Amino acid sequence: MATTTTKSVGPDDIAIRRRRKPATPYILLIPAVAALLIGLGYPVYWQVVTSLQEYGLLQQFGAPPVFVGLDNFARVFTDSEVWFVVAKSVAFCLVNAALTVGIGLGLAVLMRAVHSWVRITMQITLLLAWATPLVAAVTVFRWLFDYRTGVVNWLLVQVGADGMGGYNWLGQAWTFFLVASFVVIWMSVPFVAMSIYAGLTQVSEEVLEAARIDGAGPRQILWQIIMPLVRPVIAIVLLLQIIWDLRVFAQIRLLQDAGAPISETNLLGNYIYQLGMGQQSFGGAAAVSLFVLVLTMVLSGPYVRYLMKEDAA
Amino acid sequence: MRRTRTIVAAASTITLALTLAACGSDGDPTDSEANGSAEVEPADITLWLNGSDTNEDLRTYLIDTFAAENEGSTLSIEEQDWSDVVPKLTTALPDAANTPDVVEIGNTQAATFTYAGAFREISPELYEELGGDNLLPSFVEAGAVDDKKFALPYYFGSRYMFYRADIWEEAGIEVPTTLEEFGDAVAELRTDDRSGFALGGQDWRNGISWVFANGGELAVKEGDQWVSTLSDPNTVAGLEQWQGVYESASNLPPTHTDEAYWDYFNDPEEGGEPEAATIMAPSWARWSIGDLVENDEGDMVRDGMVDDSTYDIFALPGVDGGVAPVFAGGSNLAVSAQSQHPELAENLLRIIYSEEYQTMLAEVGLGPANTEHTSVMATDKFGETAVAAAEASQLTPAAPGWAAVEGASVYEELFQKIAEGGDVTEIAAEYDEKITPMLNGQAG
Repeated sequence: MATTTTKSVGPDDIAIRRRRKPATPYILLIPAVAALLIGLGYPVYWQVVTSLQEYGLLQQFGAPPVFVGLDNFARVFTDSEVWFVVAKSVAFCLVNAALTVGIGLGLAVLMRAVHSWVRITMQITLLLAWATPLVAAVTVFRWLFDYRTGVVNWLLVQVGADGMGGYNWLGQAWTFFLVASFVVIWMSVPFVAMSIYAGLTQVSEEVLEAARIDGAGPRQILWQIIMPLVRPVIAIVLLLQIIWDLRVFAQIRLLQDAGAPISETNLLGNYIYQLGMGQQSFGGAAAVSLFVLVLTMVLSGPYVRYLMKEDAA
Repeated sequence: MRRTRTIVAAASTITLALTLAACGSDGDPTDSEANGSAEVEPADITLWLNGSDTNEDLRTYLIDTFAAENEGSTLSIEEQDWSDVVPKLTTALPDAANTPDVVEIGNTQAATFTYAGAFREISPELYEELGGDNLLPSFVEAGAVDDKKFALPYYFGSRYMFYRADIWEEAGIEVPTTLEEFGDAVAELRTDDRSGFALGGQDWRNGISWVFANGGELAVKEGDQWVSTLSDPNTVAGLEQWQGVYESASNLPPTHTDEAYWDYFNDPEEGGEPEAATIMAPSWARWSIGDLVENDEGDMVRDGMVDDSTYDIFALPGVDGGVAPVFAGGSNLAVSAQSQHPELAENLLRIIYSEEYQTMLAEVGLGPANTEHTSVMATDKFGETAVAAAEASQLTPAAPGWAAVEGASVYEELFQKIAEGGDVTEIAAEYDEKITPMLNGQAG
């Protein structure tokens, strides 16, 4: 800004600087804040209001909603089914997020180590998996695990597991979640691998050379030098994975359509949809949704704090 | 590290986006229909039809006739998918600015929306004009509150049995005349590679036929409250009989729902034996069954069971012979309560319930709403069987919360548990407790 004034150090200069509070940054903030308020503030406001009302199909068609205080929350959270769904969702989310980031990290390190043509092949393969539309990917997995005509059962029978002929993978909750995990991990590993690989390429050659001169072995370089340097990237993708895996919906729903025990395989997203759109209990669905919001903040809180600290540093 | 901050911001955005947008609509609920003027303003009205059952010819007829009879006005038909009719109607109907004027709704969903006040009342005069007591009574009841009519029948389809005459004959088994004989026959036809009767465990829409046949009820209205009556001895007897048929005749897993059974029933395209000797399906399934032939467009299609020494049909027999009461599929029609052009919407109803359109429905095999025209259908064995099955058919309870029971897949789960070999009396008691509050609209 006023470069000439910085030469002298008088009380007048300070006054000038105070007066010249630039408005531009604030003006530039308006669109973002407005978008947040309209796009998120209003739905969240409605969510809170609805969760405190008895709001069903009658209210949707014009009957005045009745304020019921915390009734919806009381009803929902004394229901053991809700807690069962919450436990399943949290376990599903943590296991899948951890596996996804673990596998993605492994692939990223591998990509750094291999010849460039192998790496390019890997990258193209990962991008193709990443680019597959969700519905198509789930459909492919449904076919793979089909009890009658699926390749998986056929292969298992070929290697001698005769009992697996006609095995219905989606028929029991735990094998259902196994298949669901395959889909979820398969679809999200490319993003993690690519992000971490991008992080790895930022590790400067000088640092590695210095480590080598100091006598560090490849293993030490990986764990003592590279990993701490890409830790922020790993933290971010892990955070994103936790959030994404907690809100899985379509994968579960599409697999359920193939024939599965529905209430046993519902995760939070599916449960809310069933409560709200299936049973038209919008009040109850809003209450569970707000709980999911809090749950997401609790699960991702430590990471956000950690990232803020990194950011400030 | 600006990148980090952006991603944190993105992350918190996603966190917030997790919450389902509440489907609130504070649209003005006041009546916009009290418009007594005789002159109807020309406008464009919208009809929502579900799936492709109403074919192109029928649609063209409606559009052309409507335009001819209502000068200056036009009709747009929009096709909706059956699988998300309930969410679509829930969000569109209360919105006066965007509501379709006339909607088709599944017969089992009609009661819920009728009770919620989604539809405009069909006046007694109009009801008489459109067919009155000739309209299919069980469907009219599904769309009525006490004496007031809101949703009228559109068409019905009925379910009957498709069987492989070649396989049955080879095994020396005759077409059964009672429900018990049917169970024995399909059990005998079952092998490791072939279902005698292909039936998914969650397929309650076919399964409830056994309940109805044994004189059972799913729910009854006591006073002003609906009560689930799965524990009723007749209902339990029906469920147990169904359990026996499933266990002894079907190779399909208990988690399978009503699906494309004809995939098991047709000769496989890659050769080999069919995987089912018998299936139960709505009458229109015929067009997915038969030998592969090439149609005019050069596509390979099923010929609709031309070869009757291989593919044939019969109506599910009753407990003491005759025809069993099966579940009546089909749909209702209603005018949206928020429609801005109710007079034009009612004019459209007049066209739909005209003799000409009802006859056209019957001719393409859709059971017409006006029972006077069912005779048009009964010209071949398909039509005769469809009409016989439809006359004996029953509907699911017309309770305000029935759509919620369907929406939460409660019956799928109930039948799955029975198919898995559970104790029917215990399961029935457990689900009665669960379903009764839902039926009265106290969904949790």
